[in-house]
Amino acid sequence: MNVETAAGVTDFRPFARPERLGKSPAWLDGVRETAIERFREHGFPSSKIESWKFTNLSPLARTTFRDASAIKGPELTRADLEPYRLTPDCHLIVFVNGQFRPDLSALDHVPDGTRIVDFTAAEEEDLRALTAPPAVPVDPRARSLFDLNTACMSGGAVVHLGRGAILDPVQLLFVVRPDAEPTAFHLRNLIRAEAGSSATVLESYVGLGDGIYWTNVVTQIAVAPNAVLRHYKLQAEGNSAFHVAGTSVRLDHQAAYRMFAASLGSELSRNEVDVDLAATDTVARLAGTTLARGAQHLDTTIRIEHSKPRGTSSQESKAVVDGRAHAVFQGRIRVAPDAQKTDAQQISRSLLLSSTAAADTKPELEILADDVKCSHGATIGDLDEEALFYLRARGVGEAEARKMLIDAFIGELIEHITVDTARAYFRRAFDRWLAYGAQP
Amino acid sequence: MLKIEDLHVEVDHKEILHGLDLEVTEGEVHAVMGPNGSGKSTLAYALAGRDGYAVTGGRILYQGRDLVAMAPEERAREGVFLAFQYPVEIPGVVNANFLKSAVNAVRRHRGKTELDAMEFLKLARQKLKLLNMDEALLSRPINVGFSGGEKKRNEIFQMWMLDPRLAVLDETDSGLDIDALKIVAEGVNALRGPTRTILLITHYQRLLDYVVPDKIHVLAGGRIIKSGGKELALELEAKGYADVVKAAAA
Repeated sequence: MNVETAAGVTDFRPFARPERLGKSPAWLDGVRETAIERFREHGFPSSKIESWKFTNLSPLARTTFRDASAIKGPELTRADLEPYRLTPDCHLIVFVNGQFRPDLSALDHVPDGTRIVDFTAAEEEDLRALTAPPAVPVDPRARSLFDLNTACMSGGAVVHLGRGAILDPVQLLFVVRPDAEPTAFHLRNLIRAEAGSSATVLESYVGLGDGIYWTNVVTQIAVAPNAVLRHYKLQAEGNSAFHVAGTSVRLDHQAAYRMFAASLGSELSRNEVDVDLAATDTVARLAGTTLARGAQHLDTTIRIEHSKPRGTSSQESKAVVDGRAHAVFQGRIRVAPDAQKTDAQQISRSLLLSSTAAADTKPELEILADDVKCSHGATIGDLDEEALFYLRARGVGEAEARKMLIDAFIGELIEHITVDTARAYFRRAFDRWLAYGAQP
Repeated sequence: MLKIEDLHVEVDHKEILHGLDLEVTEGEVHAVMGPNGSGKSTLAYALAGRDGYAVTGGRILYQGRDLVAMAPEERAREGVFLAFQYPVEIPGVVNANFLKSAVNAVRRHRGKTELDAMEFLKLARQKLKLLNMDEALLSRPINVGFSGGEKKRNEIFQMWMLDPRLAVLDETDSGLDIDALKIVAEGVNALRGPTRTILLITHYQRLLDYVVPDKIHVLAGGRIIKSGGKELALELEAKGYADVVKAAAA
């Protein structure tokens, strides 16, 4: 693939070979062709589009990327991945440079009624679910990278929980070791939780090295009646990486979805999460934190669609921004006319650690029902100088005192992570980030 | 051990201390008393090195060294302790973690071995018991949800843990009922000793009923206008600041 300008694709060859697409039914080719046609028409989202006004993708659009299949998977051992594992013994599916690596995965003890497979082993029904339209409709020009993903997707994980299945934590680990030439990875994941099932799924994106690459990932999630999904995501891509993610969640009757996402890697990232509370009595709780430094630009965009009555949703975002970095939080809540007794909350807090750091936060509420509880709030501030002085006046060094206060700011969100191993996992990731920050 | 000479301090480009002189001998307890707005808290913050309290003239010699050149944490490690008038609430930072870092920073600086978690806990429990405080305090965020009295006692507890050479107590008596005041006073008295110097900054003489100073200095208009023995507190109590200030100016 050769994407040269924001105006669109100048030379597109579908590089995802048919044999790599599972059973690759004819309809899928049609879906892909339609998708690439739409991408050609719209090109990369421009910052003239409202939902992209804070995030300029032109550095991405200017880069020419090779297809993932053009680079060889590096030699990696299980030991190399150890620092990025949730636990040493959780279910694990590993992709290295976009390619499924059974040798590094740990899928031997997946219980009956549950499937964790790579994309090429997807069943027809998985492929249907994988290629479903996003859960929340938006301006198609804002979603062109989803179309590009549909056209180019060549790998990803499928997690299917049968009725009533209970699954211990499973980790989807995407590792990239970039090389000299920029490479694009178009990944597509599917998580389907059937009625009454319960699972914990961690997605980790890890870059080992500084080369330029682009992870463009779409994760489709369907949570059936009375099912519970705890979903975690760590974005720790390499320093020169681009990360664009679209997570799309549909909740059925009495389904519960919890998400915690941490964005701390990449040079430019856009993490979109769309949740449709598509049936009655659903719960969606989303929390996330962005840790940005240097010249990073990290964007989180959430759209919550309350389609049916008695849905509860919450969004809690915390950003710590240092250097010349820029954090963006956009949170939309839409309550359909039918969605009475909705309870929707949103809060966004940003902590700026330097005078050149920036944070933009944009709440957007569209409430078409009359019997609802909705609230939103946003704060942007500096470290508390008084608190800093108090700590220093007791002998704590300035760097350590700052660390304590930053840690206090984000620590509260981590404490809310309900799964112990996941809480410890993010704790380690944040500690690494904080330790790096303390270095000169 | 502390010698302040012709000290000028500005806050927001406004001079608050206009040439303050003060000398405190090691092992003594001195009180600085003064009316509101006389510069008491400015003196306290200037000693601790708070940003925004700019020393524009004069000097502060602490154990013969220039205190002004030191960062706040360096002063603390050298043995300067400021008990805040308004101890800061810091949500999310647990007392024990903070205090262990502080104690060990000070110990490192003094060439002592650091305390591990168990040793720290043992020491903290011992001090808390002496101060009649609940050790649950250790696992709570710093000063969050504490009453005024609890905050002041927490300051005394931290002072005990950090074992300072020069303790500056900024209106530690304010806002305390008589029972809390006695506990705080006992906490201060217990620290008196030949190698410890204490500077009590206060508006009222009532703390001085419990912590009897060796010397009293009256601060007014950004200068020490009068110094004397402990009987000076009684004079201030009887006549009020206005008369004493007027008499000193005459």
